[in-house]
Amino acid sequence: MLEIKEVSYCYQQGKPVVDNVSLTVEPGEFVAIAGRNGSGKTTLTRLIMSLIKPANGQIMLNGVDTSRQSPGDIARHVGYVFQNPDSQIFRDTVASETAYGPEQLGFTAQEITASVAEALERTGLTALADAYPRNLSRGQKQRVAIASALAMKPDILILDEPTSGQDAAEKENLMRILTDLNGQGKTIILVTHDMDILARFTKRAVVMASGVKVFDGTVTELFGQNANVQKWGLREPAIMNVSRNLTKYGISPELTAAEFSRQIIGMLQGGRA
Amino acid sequence: MKAISFENFSYAYPKSKVVLDKLCFDVKKGSFTAIVGPSGAGKTTLCMAAAGVVPHYFGGRSAGSVVVQGVRTMDSTMGELAKGVALVLEDYESQLVAMTVEEEVAFGLENACVDPKLISSMVQETLQLVGLAGREQQEVGGLSGGQKQRLALAGALVTKPEILILDEPASALDPEGAAELYGLLGRLNKQGMTIMVVEHEIARVLPHIDQLVLLLNGSIAVVDQPEAALRKMNAEGLFQEAIPPLLELRFLLEKSGCRFGTWRCEADAVRELSAALKEAEEVSQSA
Amino acid sequence: MNKLAPLTKLIFTVAVSVWAMLLTSLLGLGLLAVAQILLLAAVGLLKRTYKGILSLTFFAALLVLIQYALGSNLEAAVAGGLRMIDMATVFVILLATTKMQSLTTALVSQCHVPQEYAFMFTTALRFIPDFLAESKAVREAQACRGYTGKGSIVRRFTAYLALVGPLVLRAVSRSETMALSLELRGFGAGRRSFSKDVGLRLRDYCTLAGMVAVTAGFTAGRMIYGW
Repeated sequence: MLEIKEVSYCYQQGKPVVDNVSLTVEPGEFVAIAGRNGSGKTTLTRLIMSLIKPANGQIMLNGVDTSRQSPGDIARHVGYVFQNPDSQIFRDTVASETAYGPEQLGFTAQEITASVAEALERTGLTALADAYPRNLSRGQKQRVAIASALAMKPDILILDEPTSGQDAAEKENLMRILTDLNGQGKTIILVTHDMDILARFTKRAVVMASGVKVFDGTVTELFGQNANVQKWGLREPAIMNVSRNLTKYGISPELTAAEFSRQIIGMLQGGRA
Repeated sequence: MKAISFENFSYAYPKSKVVLDKLCFDVKKGSFTAIVGPSGAGKTTLCMAAAGVVPHYFGGRSAGSVVVQGVRTMDSTMGELAKGVALVLEDYESQLVAMTVEEEVAFGLENACVDPKLISSMVQETLQLVGLAGREQQEVGGLSGGQKQRLALAGALVTKPEILILDEPASALDPEGAAELYGLLGRLNKQGMTIMVVEHEIARVLPHIDQLVLLLNGSIAVVDQPEAALRKMNAEGLFQEAIPPLLELRFLLEKSGCRFGTWRCEADAVRELSAALKEAEEVSQSA
Repeated sequence: MNKLAPLTKLIFTVAVSVWAMLLTSLLGLGLLAVAQILLLAAVGLLKRTYKGILSLTFFAALLVLIQYALGSNLEAAVAGGLRMIDMATVFVILLATTKMQSLTTALVSQCHVPQEYAFMFTTALRFIPDFLAESKAVREAQACRGYTGKGSIVRRFTAYLALVGPLVLRAVSRSETMALSLELRGFGAGRRSFSKDVGLRLRDYCTLAGMVAVTAGFTAGRMIYGW
């Protein structure tokens, strides 16, 4: 369980980048953290990993204050997947790359082999175990980064804009992998500004604006607040926008095209009856 | 009038397999074309072919030709082509070469031997256009990702190219930033600039484009007006995941017999669905 | 100093080096060093550059000790050290008072250095902040995978590959893109214009005349008085 209590952080003197934020994430949740560039969403996750220390407040991971811990200590419980997989990939094969984390954490040789195999399986990379990481596509590299984090067997996985720069098929695949992991009990925290992904896959949304937490609730509640959504730099998903504008005809707001089309067809055919 | 014409163009990098296979399509002067497709389909290579980078810079084997502004790229040089075509690469950070913002934008003008007296005002004007006004003296290294991307665009726009090619120009921008960028490109297109853009999020470009090209495994699978192209993708199951939700909705409704006009953005859909629902209401009331 | 053309400052750099070679007396060499430091103070740049100058002095002192230990006489060793300080300090002055772009413009348009070589320096400088940011990103990413940088020297050395690897790969990829970018923007295709005006003005000619006079003076002084 992750508890962030009234945490603040400034880079230099001046405006805080994270301003008195409190947040609790229970095991097994699938949370999205959204906001425009510069809103503090990435900084918040860096505070969780102890890459930077909060100026005020406390972060508790499973009841332990993280301020004295190093990112390596926290890596045993929280896997962090950076936005750019090129920042970490350096080995010659996908399998050995994935093994780096467990090696550093002191797993035994047997544990490493087992853990790597499982991580590659969950990310669909088993067939690419011997591939040279540099030649992979952005989406495949991102999966290698996720496998590398998974191999350390964390309970929580934090991903910073994992779908950026990827084609639609890769995005779908990635989100399916995350949904499966969540189904198996992993807590997922996803920093993103892709509203379609947020709408379709996550259950809880936290919105940051100018360092302050301005929203924490379900995804449906978030898009019910459409005026604020624009103010916070977010874009309403297309289907939500269209359905919301048709409520005076008895349409209720929908998130997916399939659901919405059913409603419309029902209305139109009912009307012709 | 064709700005760019791919005539049975095929290409393979040195010691590599064929990346582009018998491409045949045109980009009309003043049009706005989006190139879409899965990673590795050859979209970046296609952009580079239009700028003459391929085959001049990388060597390799090619067949057929690419004709840009009436000249075959094979018969020209990158320097010559650069006078009419500007290419903004995907790795925007490494594309920036100078120390300060001002120097970066002026670079292209200096290379083109533009009179120094004119450079300063041209730089200012272009920075204003991309939303970096007043930042002339700032160091490039200190800019944010989004600002760097806009700076790379400014560097390309300042030479007033007739053809602008961009490879994923909004990847570092948040939705607001991306909307602003494509709004700018839309305006430039209306003023006559021919634009070709590689983009993963079709919804972002849909309000502005008049042609959509789907590249699959180095070949052109679809080339048509946006709605027709997406309809074909939907009907034949080609890279369906990329179809924007708005059009996914439309195609589902069309299956049940509905008919609509052009939907470029949400407002279009709201207007037409409102009309349809209103009509249905009136029909049921009068019944 | 800031108002002088880059070419004048480049020539000044050469001149000071020539003077350092002409002068032999410790007093002369010492005064030359002091004069340069006073020059920096006069243009208000001493605060920014004093740390650099201090380290230069430290290395010069080291050089003197080594030379002396290897057998040369003390006076010659100290002279050598002072020469080093003189010649290095003038570079500090050059770089602190001249914008990089003005320098490259002068090198290319007035000294006829090929464009590619002159630009090598600006582009290297341009990438320093990016490189530092990247190196920080790599350290953080690997730290989140348990990299600690602790342990025996051998272990730490082999572990360091985790930091160096991604950086090198990324640097190679960057330089490839940059080379392509330069060509795409028409670099090196022939003549170019320059935004920065680096022409010589009256004050430059006066300064150059002054330098010639000083050089003549030192030459005479050495020949006649053995300075």
